[in-house]
Amino acid sequence: MAPYISIGGYSDPPRIPHLSFEVNHSELVALVGGPGSGKSDLMKCLAGIRRPVRDSIRILGAEPGSMRSRERSIFVFQNFNYAPDILIRTQLEQRISLLRGVPSRKVKDDVHDWCERMELLDVYMNYPGKLNLLQLQLFSLAPVSLTSPLVVILDEPLRNVSDSSVDVALSLILPAVENAAVLALVQKMSPLLEKADRIMDI
Amino acid sequence: MNGRMSFHYKSSILLLLRTRWVGPYLLLPPMLAFMVYAEAYLSAQGVTGIFDMEQRTVLAIWNASLLLTLIAGVNSCLFFSRLWGSFWFRNSLSLPVSRASGFWGPFLAALSVVTIMYLLTTGAVIAALPDIDQFPWLQVLAELYVPVIWAVSAGALLGLITSGTAGSLFFVTLMLFGFLTSIPSFFASSAWLQVVVPPVGRIMTLCLVYPSGLIQAVILLVHSVVAVTLGRLLYSVGMKRR
Repeated sequence: MAPYISIGGYSDPPRIPHLSFEVNHSELVALVGGPGSGKSDLMKCLAGIRRPVRDSIRILGAEPGSMRSRERSIFVFQNFNYAPDILIRTQLEQRISLLRGVPSRKVKDDVHDWCERMELLDVYMNYPGKLNLLQLQLFSLAPVSLTSPLVVILDEPLRNVSDSSVDVALSLILPAVENAAVLALVQKMSPLLEKADRIMDI
Repeated sequence: MNGRMSFHYKSSILLLLRTRWVGPYLLLPPMLAFMVYAEAYLSAQGVTGIFDMEQRTVLAIWNASLLLTLIAGVNSCLFFSRLWGSFWFRNSLSLPVSRASGFWGPFLAALSVVTIMYLLTTGAVIAALPDIDQFPWLQVLAELYVPVIWAVSAGALLGLITSGTAGSLFFVTLMLFGFLTSIPSFFASSAWLQVVVPPVGRIMTLCLVYPSGLIQAVILLVHSVVAVTLGRLLYSVGMKRR
């Protein structure tokens, strides 16, 4: 089976001279790098919203940014993914419906149930600005557990999660590994490293 | 329109219906009242001459169109600049949405909101005016809608190439320049200005001797198309930049 995520000769000088690796189905790979090491820029390149200096990136066999590479992929950015002036509930429903390929009204109940389970029901009718960082982080991870992605790419997904809530956040990420290739871009002390199948330095 | 095409349109509509973006349109009634009062005063003083009923009607609709163009243009510059420069918008392009809709969705959303405002404003103005037989309502309304389209199109281009404030200032300057075109001697000086300068003011003066001004409306439409096309090209370039 072809690798779900394939990076061959990615280069972002002077921070990353050369980077090549693959992430396969049912695999969680942690890519470790300190602040300013180029993780977020690599993330943008994988999402197809930034053009790298040199690369040969393939997501599900397609070029980053192509519809095929985004259809079954979830990208969780560090600065979350939500517009500050639209209700979290509306945005979450929109995203889940897009990723599932069904109308928004068909995901309302699932989103509601998920929020109830995560004890976020009292805040999901708010604007993102009213939420704390942990709540925002959990909402950013919501699509990972509410859809069936084949590729999940996370940029420091536990950065805003307190020690007491790490298990909650991990419970959203780890089940996805069963059916997907998960690439987590993290710093050295991330609790995600203990769960990773492979750890690589940037 | 499926979700992939409509994601940015829906998001933009939700944003544009927030008080921050709808609020400026509340300035329309007092500004309109002031303009009508000022024009009536100038007419009474013999500065502008005496308008007949039809001309007053055209002038009233033009006032609404001009003020809406001003507010829509400034609003569009601020909105597009803020939207396309935001993290969440850039991140949203990693969703399975059409990337072209990242340009057309917000543009059509802004145009939709402004069109509703135009219909509401001109509707209120028409309702306040006495009935006139055989007045070419549709033609006048259509011609004076063109400046509103132009405002959103210019706002989209300026919002892409500069900050919201700088774009707004440039738009107001451009509009004032376009307003000068209502002075006949302005055109007499050089013919090429008729094509290069957005003929916002010229549409009004020609409408006053209606039904005319169609060519100016077409010229302004061409300006709008050029602005949108340029904006679309720059959007593509911007989204691919390093």
